[in-house]
Amino acid sequence: MTEKPKIGVYVCHCGINIASTIDVEEVAKHAEELPGVVTAKTYAYMCSDPGQIMVREDIENLGLTRVVVSACSPRMHEPTFRKTLREAGLNPYYLEMANIREHCSWVHPDSEAATKKAKKLIEASIAKSRLLEPLEEKEVEAEPSTLIVGGGVAGIQAALDIADAGYQVYLVEKTPSVGGRMAQLDKTFPTLDCSACILTPKMVDVTSHPNIELMTYSEVENIDGFIGNFDVQVRKKARYVDTDKCTGCGDCAQECRVKNKIPSEYNAGIGKRSAIYLPFPQAVPAKFTIDPEHCLYLTRGKCGKSPKCEEVCQPGAINFEQEDEIVDIKVGTIIVATGFDVFDASRRPELGYQDYDNVITALEMERLVSASGPTGGELLIGEGEEKRKPKDIAFIKCVGSRDESVGNEYCSRVCCMYTAKLAHLVKEKIPDANVRVYYMDVRAFGKGFEEFYDRVRREGVRYIRGNPSEIYQNGDKLVVQVEDTLTATPMEDEVDLVVLAVGLEPRQETKDIESLLRLSKSSDQFLMEAHPKLRPVDTSSDGIFLAGCCQGPKDIPDTVAQAKGAASSALMPLSKGSVTVEAQVAEVDQNTCRGCGFCVEICPYDAIELEEINWFGHTVKVAKVNEALCKGCGSCSAGCLSGSIQAKSFRDLQILPQIAALGVNKE
Amino acid sequence: MSDKFEPNIVAFLCNWCSYAGADLAGTSRIQYPYNIKVIRVMCTGRVNPLYILNALQQGADGVLVSGCHPGDCHYMEGNMFARRRLGLMKDLMEFVGVDPRRFQMSWVSASEPNKWKEVVEKLVEETRELGPFEQFQRNMINW
Amino acid sequence: MIDLDKLRNTAAETVSRDDVKHLVGWKKGTFGYRVAPCVIENAEEAESLVFSPLCAANLATYITLPEKLPVPKGEQPDDRKTALMVKGCDSRAVVQMLVEQGIDRDQVVIIGCSCQGVVDLQKVEEKFPEPLDTVEAEWKEDKIVFKLPDGEEEVARDEVLADNCLICRYPNPVIADVSLGSEVEPAKDGEDSSVKEIEDLSLDDRWEFWEKEFSNCIRCYSCRNVCPMCYCDDCVMDRLNPAWIYRSVNYSENTVFNLSRAFHLVGRCVDCGECERVCPMGLPLGKLNRKLAREVREKYEYEPGLDPEEKPFQASYRPDDQEDFIL
Repeated sequence: MTEKPKIGVYVCHCGINIASTIDVEEVAKHAEELPGVVTAKTYAYMCSDPGQIMVREDIENLGLTRVVVSACSPRMHEPTFRKTLREAGLNPYYLEMANIREHCSWVHPDSEAATKKAKKLIEASIAKSRLLEPLEEKEVEAEPSTLIVGGGVAGIQAALDIADAGYQVYLVEKTPSVGGRMAQLDKTFPTLDCSACILTPKMVDVTSHPNIELMTYSEVENIDGFIGNFDVQVRKKARYVDTDKCTGCGDCAQECRVKNKIPSEYNAGIGKRSAIYLPFPQAVPAKFTIDPEHCLYLTRGKCGKSPKCEEVCQPGAINFEQEDEIVDIKVGTIIVATGFDVFDASRRPELGYQDYDNVITALEMERLVSASGPTGGELLIGEGEEKRKPKDIAFIKCVGSRDESVGNEYCSRVCCMYTAKLAHLVKEKIPDANVRVYYMDVRAFGKGFEEFYDRVRREGVRYIRGNPSEIYQNGDKLVVQVEDTLTATPMEDEVDLVVLAVGLEPRQETKDIESLLRLSKSSDQFLMEAHPKLRPVDTSSDGIFLAGCCQGPKDIPDTVAQAKGAASSALMPLSKGSVTVEAQVAEVDQNTCRGCGFCVEICPYDAIELEEINWFGHTVKVAKVNEALCKGCGSCSAGCLSGSIQAKSFRDLQILPQIAALGVNKE
Repeated sequence: MSDKFEPNIVAFLCNWCSYAGADLAGTSRIQYPYNIKVIRVMCTGRVNPLYILNALQQGADGVLVSGCHPGDCHYMEGNMFARRRLGLMKDLMEFVGVDPRRFQMSWVSASEPNKWKEVVEKLVEETRELGPFEQFQRNMINW
Repeated sequence: MIDLDKLRNTAAETVSRDDVKHLVGWKKGTFGYRVAPCVIENAEEAESLVFSPLCAANLATYITLPEKLPVPKGEQPDDRKTALMVKGCDSRAVVQMLVEQGIDRDQVVIIGCSCQGVVDLQKVEEKFPEPLDTVEAEWKEDKIVFKLPDGEEEVARDEVLADNCLICRYPNPVIADVSLGSEVEPAKDGEDSSVKEIEDLSLDDRWEFWEKEFSNCIRCYSCRNVCPMCYCDDCVMDRLNPAWIYRSVNYSENTVFNLSRAFHLVGRCVDCGECERVCPMGLPLGKLNRKLAREVREKYEYEPGLDPEEKPFQASYRPDDQEDFIL
């Protein structure tokens, strides 16, 4: 920065876009007279090949050390001209652009005024260019592996894609089995595929793939680092069962002293399991797990004379001494695929979910009609002797979605279709059932969706437009109070079973991962993508991607598509082998830094820390920037009272000359 | 050009929102007064409040800082720091007698070119009314 | 009221400790009302320590003041603790330094002295011109007693107290290893009415007031030197590359210097009043700082120098911060 700069100034005509309003020749002549400017030229299209060649030749022949291009917005062509400089052998950060098109010729019709302003803008750019510094675009090696948090269909699909591409995958799932929500479904719309049948082959693939390390019943404890170099700690929770010995025979669960006493999570709380359990028959891995919150031996210290499971386990796989294990892994990229929770229907108390047994959620309904569910697929209501098939069934849509009063203004996207599917399944099991669906709208937007909806109505399911206000008991019937808005008729509809089409909400447990990774949330509380249109799988943190319903409600085809997209994005740094780190990062002058720590607190990326250095024999604390994490926002620089930490290319000493050039009222 | 006083306004725009919004105003050929001259920063969080004093001292009649709406900052929190810091600088300047209309802040997103035009017009008109800034301008010193 | 013997004994004990390098306190000055800061290194010197309404100096500055001279090879830097006598406002300065990690808590031994306010010498001299012989003073309920050469004089406290002491809300040290003196009631009205007076003026009148003041500034930097929170080795206002302000002494550069310093103290100034006390030109610097401190208190509910664990004000924000001034 200390030698005299040789500045080349190029004023673009941009055809007539600039030249018709601004006298570009006059601007170039004005620039030529400024100190340090060696040449000032104009050209019709600077971004074209000849334009760029002109710059390159001037750099070589005139020995230019700075280039100022006065043309369109830098947001348009800064990368173009940086490349030109790079190819000519000049550091690409010696470029400065003056925006005389978007900010001048296109918005100011007065020629004289626009030309005057262009001269000022170019003065400011030249003032800054004198003080630019050469920057290096560093490359950091990337670990050839990916961490996927969440073993639902999104996590599984992404894992398979990345593993098939030849890279290592760590798939971490919190529950004892992969499969997620899709494993809880019976049939999927609109094809009525058996959900478990299409999912289980993938689940098996995941466990047998040589490139996938599957860690079920595990949680991510800590994540440090940055793209290409994440340090992850995973806690493998103790199952109290030796998975090498367990054959999955199930004798233990049969003999467990609390057999069938604990609500099963897989069955949405309506089925029961033992304290030692396999979540569902097709669980992968097919290993049993002891629930430490309900197991008598683990909670009370004794289980009868001795634990039954231990007695009957032939391979001797029960091990109450087992402890959690912390595993350290290094990965290059991370995919978050933590899925969704369903809306808690008790937050709409008027619908009677808490009060009446026969008001159930769609997920519970899914388990009822499922062959692996608590009723073996038979749709029955009532207890013991009173078990019977329901005759009148009502579905209520938009429960917990499109509802400002519960804080969920968004549409959950899948409920219209899954309601149609469940209505169809009801008709299949109980052909003479009277099924009605109370709706506000029907959204059948996808491939085959509208056709399926038509089919379901042809099968006799009645769609009534109305939002029920209340459900109450009348004898052994439930009464749905609703207005048929298309005929303006209030009704009191007596039914046997009410199914609430509950919406999707972000999982509560996602909050942990969210704070570990500093992920942002959209206004609907789902995890936020980097750009709603153009970057649907990226987050604003490099190297961390989103897949599936954690990013927003969606159905299985969209989830799989997004998972494949996330896998492809996560593969990019891995296959390249390295990651380019932002060059315009912050830098600390450790001589003037007084170790106050303001920048450390301010940095949104935790990229700065105080380190102890030896200063002439004294140990003092000064700030240090992790260049791989720094994104160059400059918030630290503005907050530094001693001016020690500065954002490169946007230093105070580079901005103040711009202010001076723009302020001084020279005619 | 008329004999009217033409104020000189220096603006700091954040690259991701306001600068893009001003670019969009250009692409849409939305016309606005030429008195405003833009300095590009990556984030409003970069704007050191002392820049405002510096700009006024060096010949600006008005200063504008414009960035992303809260919650939209490309770097997550930069505009939050800007809001706090620049709000206090405005209070300090007003306390010593600098008209608060000389330094203004706005949130203009990348999709708000019309708002950009309105903000510029407001600032130019108000500064024109206030006249040239002569309170602690540097080149006014008589030796 | 402080028991001077207790103070001197505590000081003697403290400075005799192996892990304490020296103790910074106040001692009688060389003439008149002067009280000078002093550094004592052994128990005998503790006899000279005083604590009276004349002890205006904020000793917290001395913690960050010592120059870190290069350590000769083979030697270790002297890391022993510094003991410090502090009043209420001074202790807040120490806490603020802890917040900013300028010092570690275990680097200082704090001897807290509850203070009923120090006098403004200008106000005192109006009543009792300064004699050549040294004068002692003490608090006596709501009066100050001056032991002048020709006899004792009493005067109402409110008539001679420094402006910022009249509105002091933290007369008792907020952090201390040893606390001396009985607890003092904070002032009933903690607001500076002169700030409100300026706010009630029109913009033009305000600038007229401040322009005159800033024109008087001679850029001696006494305010910056005495301020405990100004401890940057290389002040940005002195830099040449980039040059924020020129070194010329005129109202333009002076205004920017004083406004910049006031701004750098936002959320950090503990209102010890030193800057105003030492300014040779009588600039009402306290008003600038107190105005900002009030904004910080009211708009952002923050008061510097109370909680060493808190995040610094300039490095935090709240999602619901005011933005009614933003277009």
